Amino acid sequence: MLMRPPKELDDWLKHHLFDTVPMAIAVIDQAFNLVYANKAFEQMFGPWQDRKCYEVYKGRDSMCPQCKGAVAFQNGQPVVNEEVGYNAAGNFTRYIKHTTPVVDDKGRIPYLIEMCTDITETEQIRREYQLLFDQVPCSILIIDKNYRIVKSNERARTMLGDLEGLHCYKGLKGVDHKCSECTARQTFEDGELHTGHHIWRTLDGQTIHLHVITVPLRLSNGTFDMVMELAVDVTQTLKLEDGLKFAHTFLETMITTSMDGIFAVDNEGQVSIFNPAARDTFKVGPDQKVSRQSLAGMLPEGFMRQVDAGTQHVYLPETEVTDMTGAKVPVRLIGNQLKIEGGSTGMAFSIQDLSEIKKLENEKLEAERLAAVGQTVAGLAHGIKNLTTALEGGMYMLSTGMQKGNLERIQKGIEMLRRNIERISMFVKAFLSFAKGRQIKARVNNPADIAQEVVEMYSTKAEELGIQLQFELPQTLASAVIDYESMHECLTNLVGNAIDACSVSTDGGSRVTVRAFEKNGTIIYEVADNGCGMDYEIKKKVFTTFFTTKGLGGTGLGLLMTKKIIQEHGGRIELESEPGQGTTFRIRLPRRRLPQSASDGEA
Amino acid sequence: MAKTIMIIEDEPDIRDYLMAALEDSGFRACTVEAQANVTEAVHKVMPDLIVLDVMMPKRSGISIYKELRNCLRLSKIPVAMLSGITVRTEFMDNGFRKLVADDTIAPPEGFVEKPVDLSAFLELVGDLTAQSK
Repeated sequence: MLMRPPKELDDWLKHHLFDTVPMAIAVIDQAFNLVYANKAFEQMFGPWQDRKCYEVYKGRDSMCPQCKGAVAFQNGQPVVNEEVGYNAAGNFTRYIKHTTPVVDDKGRIPYLIEMCTDITETEQIRREYQLLFDQVPCSILIIDKNYRIVKSNERARTMLGDLEGLHCYKGLKGVDHKCSECTARQTFEDGELHTGHHIWRTLDGQTIHLHVITVPLRLSNGTFDMVMELAVDVTQTLKLEDGLKFAHTFLETMITTSMDGIFAVDNEGQVSIFNPAARDTFKVGPDQKVSRQSLAGMLPEGFMRQVDAGTQHVYLPETEVTDMTGAKVPVRLIGNQLKIEGGSTGMAFSIQDLSEIKKLENEKLEAERLAAVGQTVAGLAHGIKNLTTALEGGMYMLSTGMQKGNLERIQKGIEMLRRNIERISMFVKAFLSFAKGRQIKARVNNPADIAQEVVEMYSTKAEELGIQLQFELPQTLASAVIDYESMHECLTNLVGNAIDACSVSTDGGSRVTVRAFEKNGTIIYEVADNGCGMDYEIKKKVFTTFFTTKGLGGTGLGLLMTKKIIQEHGGRIELESEPGQGTTFRIRLPRRRLPQSASDGEA
Repeated sequence: MAKTIMIIEDEPDIRDYLMAALEDSGFRACTVEAQANVTEAVHKVMPDLIVLDVMMPKRSGISIYKELRNCLRLSKIPVAMLSGITVRTEFMDNGFRKLVADDTIAPPEGFVEKPVDLSAFLELVGDLTAQSK
C-alpha cells in the first residue's frame, strides 16, 4: 500500500508542487482546450485561459497535422517527443514534451497532462559544436580501440568519403594491415598527444599529405577508449616548399655559374654573396674573405653609398673598378637595393667585366680604320687619274696655244696647270693626315657646345649666301667624353657640305638645320639641308672614296675623315638623301661606347 | 656638216680640255650641267655623241645614262662613258653590269679611260659619229 506522507508535506504536494516544478505543465481536454496550467507554463507560453493547445504552443488556428495528443487520447499511451513552437515572447522555441493520458475509473481518457522542458539553448550549443566539428579547417576522425572509424566530420567526409565503420588503415590508405607508424596506436598506448606525417588517398584517388595530431577522447572519469585524429592537408605547403627549394637551388646555380659577377651585402654589413665571376673580376682568391669596407674601396667612389640611399637601381654602363692588385678594370656595374615589403634588407650588385669586349672593340675599330684606308687607296687612284687628266688638259691648252700663238689659250693652260698642281699638294696633305691615324684626345665636353660653335662659325657665310642656318637643341645634353677638335672637324665638314649643297640650288628658301639631342643613351647630331640632294650612286660612294662634290675645291676626304673620327668615338654616321629634296647626315654616338677620357688613358 | 659632241663632266678643267681638243679636230663641242633636267638639254641639242663622266657630285653619270636609254628619242644617240674608276676592258666586260643591273639597258657604245689618250679619244669620237647620219 502506498504510504501516506505526513499532513504538511501532503498539503504542500497538493497545493504548491504543481506551481513549483521547473517544468511547464498543462491539462488538455478532448476538445484540445487548455483547462489548467501551472506558473511555469504561463511563463513559458504566456496566457492560456480559454485557448486551444495549438493556439498557445504553435500560434495556429487549427489542429496540428500530426497531433500526438489525438493519438494519446485514442490509445492511452504516454508519448515523449521533441517539438518546436513559439514562447510567450513569440520567439522560436524548442522543447521536449511528455504527454501522459489521464484515465478515469471507467477507462475513458478525459484529459492529457502535457509537461514541457525548454531545450532551445542546449540545442543551440549542441548545434554550434556540431558546426565547429564539421567545419573546422581540418579533417577529424574518431577512432575506437579496434581502429575502426566511429565518426568523421564533414570536411573528412567531403575529402575522403564516408569511412564510418571501416578500419582506419583500410579507409585512409587502402591497406589491410595496421600501419607501422601509427599515431592512434601511440596515443592508445600512453594516453598522450602524438603527431605525425601521413599520406592518405582522397575520394577522387589523389594522394594527399597530412599533418596529423592524435589525442585521447577522455571520459569524465579520465579513462578513454577512443582517440580523436585531427589532420591538416599540407600538400600545398609541401609543394611550395619544394618550389622554394627549387628556386633556391636554381638561383644558387645561376649565381655560381654566371659569367657576370654577382655580389650582395646584407644589412649587417656582411658580404653575403660573392660569386666566382666576381672573384675573377676583383682578383679575389677562392677562400679569401671580402669585407664591406674593402668592397666599397674597389667600387667607384661613392657608388655603394648611392645604391644604399637610392630607391631605384643605379646603373653605370661603363665605369672602372679597382681589383685586389690595384689594377683598374673596365666594367658595367649595376647596384640594387634589396627590398622586402618596402624595407631594405641589403644591396645586390651585378658586374660585367668589359676588358675583353674593350679589346675586341678596339680591334674592330682598327680593322674598320684599315678598311677605310684601303678603300681610300682605291679611291686615291681615281682622284689621281682626274688630276692627271686635268694636268694633261693644261699641257694641251698650253702647247696648242703656243702653236696657234693664242695667248688666251696659253694663259688658260698655265692657269689649269697651276690650279691642279695646287690640288695635288692639298690632296697629298689631306691624305697623309688621314693615313697617319691621329690618336683622338677625348675629354669631358658638352656635346651641344661643339655644334653651337660650328653653327656660329658658319653663320656669316650662310647669311652671305642667303641660307637660313639654325641650331636646335631640344633638350639639355649631359657632358660626354668627346675629342672636341675632331668632332668640331666632323660637324664643320657636314655643315660645310650642307651649305655647298644649298648654294648650288637656285630656287632660294635654302635651309640648313643642325640639331643635337639624345635618345636612349645615344647622342645624336643631325645636319639637314634642303639642297640638291644625292642620287643612289653618289650615296654609295660618299664615305668610301676620294669622292668630291666640290669640283676643284675639295679633296674628297672630308666625309671619309668624318666617318673615321666617328668610328673612333664608337659611333656611326648615317645618310638620308633624295635628289632635289636635300640631305640629312646623322651622327650617332652611343654613350656606352664613347672612348675613355684621354687623361685616364695616359695614366 | 660638223658633228656635235656633248660633254657631261663636272671637272671644269677636264671639260674645257676635251672641248678644246674636239673643236681643234673640227667637231662642234657643247656641254650641259649634270642636273635633274639634263635630258631636256639633250633634247634641245640632239648631239651626235654624248661623252658622259661616270662619277659626278650632283648626279651620277650612271643615272643619266639610264634615263637616256629609257627615252625613245634619245636612246639612239651613242654614248661614250668617261671615267678613271676602272680600265676600259673591265668596264665593258662586267663593270657596267655591276652599276646597271637592268639587262634591258645595253652597255654604252664606248668607254674613255682617264687619263685620256687624246688620239685614241678623237679616233673613238670619229668612229662613233661616222655611224650616225
